[in-house]
Amino acid sequence: MPEKLSFYIQRSSAFHSLNPLTKLGLVFAFIVIAYTSPFYWTATVIFGLGVLPLAFVGRVQREFLLAALRLLVPVTGFIFIMQSLFLPGGERELFHFWVFRVTVESVAQAYLTVSRIFVMISAFILFLLTTHPSALMTDLTRRGLPGTFAYVIISTLQIIPQMQSKAQTIIAAQRSRGMETGGSLANRVRALVPLVGPLVFGSLVEVEERAIAIEARGFTSRLKKTSLYEIADTRLDRGLRWFLLGLVVLSVAARVLAG
Amino acid sequence: MKLLNSIKKDFNTMTWVLIPVAIAINVVIGQIVMVLKLPVYLDSVGTMLVGVICGPWAGALTGALANTIWGLAIDPNALPWWPVALLIGFVTGWCARGGLFRNTWKVLITGFLVALVAAAASAVVNMLLIGGITASGSSLITVYLLQTGRSMIDAVLTTNFLVEPVDKISTALLAFAIIRGLSVRYLARFPRPENAAVEKNDLVALIIGALVFVVYVILVGSFFNIMFLWVGLAVSAILVLAVVLISVLKKA
Repeated sequence: MPEKLSFYIQRSSAFHSLNPLTKLGLVFAFIVIAYTSPFYWTATVIFGLGVLPLAFVGRVQREFLLAALRLLVPVTGFIFIMQSLFLPGGERELFHFWVFRVTVESVAQAYLTVSRIFVMISAFILFLLTTHPSALMTDLTRRGLPGTFAYVIISTLQIIPQMQSKAQTIIAAQRSRGMETGGSLANRVRALVPLVGPLVFGSLVEVEERAIAIEARGFTSRLKKTSLYEIADTRLDRGLRWFLLGLVVLSVAARVLAG
Repeated sequence: MKLLNSIKKDFNTMTWVLIPVAIAINVVIGQIVMVLKLPVYLDSVGTMLVGVICGPWAGALTGALANTIWGLAIDPNALPWWPVALLIGFVTGWCARGGLFRNTWKVLITGFLVALVAAAASAVVNMLLIGGITASGSSLITVYLLQTGRSMIDAVLTTNFLVEPVDKISTALLAFAIIRGLSVRYLARFPRPENAAVEKNDLVALIIGALVFVVYVILVGSFFNIMFLWVGLAVSAILVLAVVLISVLKKA
């Protein structure tokens, strides 16, 4: 069985041992505050004093920085450059070259947007690095999320790598039979059907067998199911969640008051 | 109560098992398309598939979960776009329930309607969270339009209405090809197999399909003048009304 698809890094740290819901709440609190707060530097401060130190607390700083470098920096860098160059309006000109005119206002606006995106995505990366998907699902199911949702998410994470390796096999097989995957657009479009066909039909056939298998294990039973794993939910967790909720309310209130 | 029943109808065990496979299909076809360097994404084939054979609510759930899982496992940048994926699944299912997924021309119409909704929804997400210019290649069109003096919202909408139909119509056609390859016995185990019952092309569908093409040409015109965007949208609104009327009349 191929390894499950996830960012999760198993370490023992204070941040890892928080309840998954608390961590998820932290992520959403950071995002809401970053987007609603009326102060210009809020998102930067959240990243510098919230997300980044927490990555060190969770002892995943190396993986965190690598993931941010790979997933976040190219995207935000591109957005920052494009928005600085092309956001309309702005009075004070910073510099201009060729047909481009960069103003102080457009750079400021671009930085604000990018810092918010940075908080949003990096908070999720931190969450994913320190929380196992099964732990999150077990905890949410205990709190009343229907078990079918947990099934869908966990089994998708298992199926994707299986299908990816199947796709690799199919691509290799069709290439060895002389199918071209390069060249003109018409060529490449023609290659789509022999690649997608076997893959999709093969996996759809399995659906029926899997449905019978999980029916036989009481998937649709309405009785309360017990879990093999206990996920701790301490007083600290509950306190933190209320505290975060308070912060979010304050931030939204500040936004409303500031207009 | 009627709504609740309609939601319940979409979900049986086959649906719950199909959803993970459909999400995996989204991801893997998306990656195959990247290998082949095609100028489309085709990353919602599975979502549309569920929308058609299980119903709009199952389609919506598949779309939302697909983006969540894409974000969880592959790239967190996909997370904020889940409302767009949700609407893609829902609109596909809704069109299919009205009989718009039974022959090639009707599927073309479905793809176009999905594209209109997806274009509007992704413009909203874009404006709220990213501020207009995203990191995807189509932003180059937005940037060009901004340089010609458009406002940001105009530029983003125009870009989306230009790019989405090509992608969503191809996606719908691919999903249709997959459904036609499945046996009737297999489809019958899903909640709404009647949506996928193939019928012959008829004249009305052909004409509407041609009209969709005309509307798209008008939308392309919006690249040059913003007036075309509103004209195109007005014509497509009339088109949607006409299609809905026709399907109601046919049922009566």
